[in-house]
Amino acid sequence: MNRLILKYAYPLTFAILAVLAWVVYRRFSAGGSVLITFAVVAAIAWGLGTFLFIYFWPRIVLRAYMRAILVQGLDEGPIPVNTLYTQPQALFADPFASLPPRSSKLLSYGTNRDTLYTFGVLDLSKGPQVLHVPDMAGRYYSVQFTDPSDGTDFAYVGKRTTGTQAGNHLIIGPGWQGAVPQGMKQISSPNNSVLVIGRVLVESDSDLPTAYGLAKQIQLTPLSH
Amino acid sequence: MANILATLSFSSVFSGVVQGIIVGGVLAFITAQILGRTKVKKINGWFTMYGCGVPGNGMLLRAACYQIFPGPVNVPQEAMYWTTSVDGAGNYIMHFPPGGLPPNDAFWSLTMSDAKNDFVANPINRYIVSDRSGLAQNSDGSTDIYLQNTAPSGHESNWLPAPTGKFILWLRVYVPGAAILDGSYHVPPVTKVQ
Repeated sequence: MNRLILKYAYPLTFAILAVLAWVVYRRFSAGGSVLITFAVVAAIAWGLGTFLFIYFWPRIVLRAYMRAILVQGLDEGPIPVNTLYTQPQALFADPFASLPPRSSKLLSYGTNRDTLYTFGVLDLSKGPQVLHVPDMAGRYYSVQFTDPSDGTDFAYVGKRTTGTQAGNHLIIGPGWQGAVPQGMKQISSPNNSVLVIGRVLVESDSDLPTAYGLAKQIQLTPLSH
Repeated sequence: MANILATLSFSSVFSGVVQGIIVGGVLAFITAQILGRTKVKKINGWFTMYGCGVPGNGMLLRAACYQIFPGPVNVPQEAMYWTTSVDGAGNYIMHFPPGGLPPNDAFWSLTMSDAKNDFVANPINRYIVSDRSGLAQNSDGSTDIYLQNTAPSGHESNWLPAPTGKFILWLRVYVPGAAILDGSYHVPPVTKVQ
């Protein structure tokens, strides 16, 4: 459906505008007091609607993305909340690999031959989650934390921000009270719902198994106690 | 849709309100897209956006970023993206002057896709060129990337196979250097070889 809309974006837009122009034309031909009602309502809907579309656009896109993770998944079905799933090696190795029919096309959108992806959605309302990252031995990687309400990235773990040594990061939701366990770094999320995207650089075809092994070790566990 | 609207009267107040909401709503949807496009920068035929993903970057920029990218987008310090589409039919080249490959602290890559954003099948199984591709330099230290359907003789190492028709390129630079973040670095144009 989305693909069809994208493919025919211009003719569709043209057709819709043609219908609207016809309605407006009929309105003006009919005239009378209803014309004023129509014009006022249209102007308000235009102004208010523009604001609402702009304000909610990131949220609408990311809601679809989170649904793709939680409901469809990439290759092996839905990815449960508070778990991470790494793109299988076979999908990375073969750019023409066919996906199972129910898996998400959104998650494999965009042609990428650089990094293995890891996906997950967090729900911090029942307590913090611990993100474990392995020793990446200098390899480029990043774990991006995105607030799905406005699409901004409030934290990163990775080579640029925290280095490539192994570590544990405590991800807490708003309002959580508690002590951060020794040896963990704290990441404060503005929202109980969080999108997590991991990327691990693949140096070459022969490096793929190593990169995959490392990406799989990026894991989540609930904070016990 | 025309039938639905046609069945509505043009004299009742109710139909005026309903039609007003529909007309205003569609105009709002289009207006939001047009306003979003004002945040897109175009240099040398390449489209990009600065400031995506950064908390406090402004409502319109946030909307614009998610109109272009269908998923969670990186902050510029982590990655910058450029895209361009080329009409195809012919041989193209990207010429990076000496020292002019994208500055970065992680990697860069140039990805080829067809008009539908799918990979392009080719005899050498090459879908991207990057800092890991072992690109050959010209004698003056510059680097040329050959974007064409058939192998450029003598320059196979710098060949990124293209389809015969229209194609789309994505340039990614991860952990981009200061010259990219401050806007002084410009990606070279894709030029047709005569």
